Amino acid sequence: MIELQPNALCFGDEFPASGAPCLVHVEGQGLTITFLSDREGVVGHTESVGFSDLTISAGGLDHNQLVASWSGSVEQRTLYLKSPELIRAFRQAAPAHLNRPLEQAAEQVRQVRQRHRFVWGLVGGTVFAVILGLWFGSDVLVELAVNRIPIEWEQKLGESAYREFLAGQDVMKEGIAVDAVKEMTQRLASQVPNNPYRFDVTVVRSDVVNAFALPGGYVVVFTGLMKKAESPEEVAGVLAHELNHVLRRHGLERIIKQLGFVAVVSIVLGNPPGLGGAMKQFGIELMTLKFGRAQETEADTTGLDLLYRAKIHPEGMITFFQRLTEKDEGRVEWLSTHPMSSARADHLKARLAEMPKQQSEPFSFEWTKVRDALGVSSGSAP
Amino acid sequence: MKSEILYPGAFPMARVELGNGEQIKAESGAMVACSPTIDIESKMEGGFLGALSRKFLTGEKFFFQTLKASRGAGEVLLAPTVPGEIVVLELDGVNEYMVQKDGFLAGADGITIDSQMQSMSRGLLGGEGFFILKMSGKGMLLLNSFGAVHKIELKPGQEYIVDNSHLVAWSTTTSYNIEKATSGWVASFTSGEGFVCRFRGPGVVYIQSRNPGGFGAWVRQFIPVTE
Repeated sequence: MIELQPNALCFGDEFPASGAPCLVHVEGQGLTITFLSDREGVVGHTESVGFSDLTISAGGLDHNQLVASWSGSVEQRTLYLKSPELIRAFRQAAPAHLNRPLEQAAEQVRQVRQRHRFVWGLVGGTVFAVILGLWFGSDVLVELAVNRIPIEWEQKLGESAYREFLAGQDVMKEGIAVDAVKEMTQRLASQVPNNPYRFDVTVVRSDVVNAFALPGGYVVVFTGLMKKAESPEEVAGVLAHELNHVLRRHGLERIIKQLGFVAVVSIVLGNPPGLGGAMKQFGIELMTLKFGRAQETEADTTGLDLLYRAKIHPEGMITFFQRLTEKDEGRVEWLSTHPMSSARADHLKARLAEMPKQQSEPFSFEWTKVRDALGVSSGSAP
Repeated sequence: MKSEILYPGAFPMARVELGNGEQIKAESGAMVACSPTIDIESKMEGGFLGALSRKFLTGEKFFFQTLKASRGAGEVLLAPTVPGEIVVLELDGVNEYMVQKDGFLAGADGITIDSQMQSMSRGLLGGEGFFILKMSGKGMLLLNSFGAVHKIELKPGQEYIVDNSHLVAWSTTTSYNIEKATSGWVASFTSGEGFVCRFRGPGVVYIQSRNPGGFGAWVRQFIPVTE
């Protein structure tokens, strides 16, 4: 028994439909084909075919096989050659009249490959472009998504975080300090055209220097921040900044950015209620949400404008920010979420300088009494 | 290595006799029973990346199981998950088959399994995904189908049209184009065929008498909706 390693498949009426494995040798005048006659691997008969009798084309699933057919002594034969060495040998030995069909077959293979590459390249390029577009066009998409979220839903989201937070805090229910903060908020909110939010302000007894606004208009001011402020304008400055985070829906923008594009797409396509669940899943806490630099700048400038419109002296906002930054003492948490840079202060100062001078209107409360109520001895500077 | 199909028909089982030291690879979970001389190992065919690409690109399993008669000759009983026939092919080193992703049951050690990228039109419309399995090498190959297996033998140039979801395996000497089942777009889908594959010989195409996707859709209507 001779072990024969077939290198081609031959098709013809007498062979099985899957083709007869055979060993093809390229010789000077043509091909010699040795068949494996049966399953035991016994070498069967050998056939020869001259180059002059062959018709050549490309075939197979990927058009990468060389198909040689001829009319044999008994019937039509078709040979499928796949091995590159064999195809190379065939091309070298083939006489001139086969060059054209061989070249055509090779061209066909090249075309198929090129088309394959082109289509996949196109698809890859498109996918890449879409990803790139999403990456750089993300702000537009985020904005689109944010605009689709109804205010009520935003309020629900903010309210649940607000209640959760207040449950663990010492809330100041009434008093001159609470009235003062409410007055400031009202004066600011009354200057917002078409304000869809009803601002809800709570004063929390805590030495932490902080204030924040949750999506939907829920504002928390810590007494620590009020104690640090030398004038009501300074507190109003912080409030104006925080209210503008709400009005500009910065919180939602951040949430959506953190949730990623899946969320954006689902909202743009119209499924906002799913986002609450998604947020819980992603473990995003509203309280720890940090705003981006662009958002801080926006809240600064719009905050400044709001103060101006409300006839509250805007200088307080800048001086308070600066003083907090310079005297980096204790628990000034507000700064950790609102890093103050000199560039930010300069920007605000420049903007303030451009504004026409106007007479500020005082608040109805006396700041010294508020400070007394908060337990700040009037003698000591904050 | 010898194989025999027990209980041919809807619920067949393949018995493979392994000589001492011989081994066979099978789809993970395919082994039903075996002699105590057989060791079962799991293997990432084609290395980690090969297995990974197979898993993610073709939907095949990450691991194959290798059944090795390391402690003497023995036999292995193998069965597919779905009801349907098992077909035995013998590869001799030159004939190669493309196999749809659920079609592979087991193969001799000499069989090489690759995932191969299809052309865009075949990938999009062929219903097999962009990557299918290519079986080459030498030795026995066991394929399984959903329903009965039917073998279509094509002479050179002969054509045959097959609904794409009924494909099991086809030899690489064939070629095919995806086309609409009827001349019009609407009729193509309302006829329930959508796209079909026009195969051109020479070669062999194995098809299955049932369509797994169609069966799934049919079963779905009987599943009670809980809510």
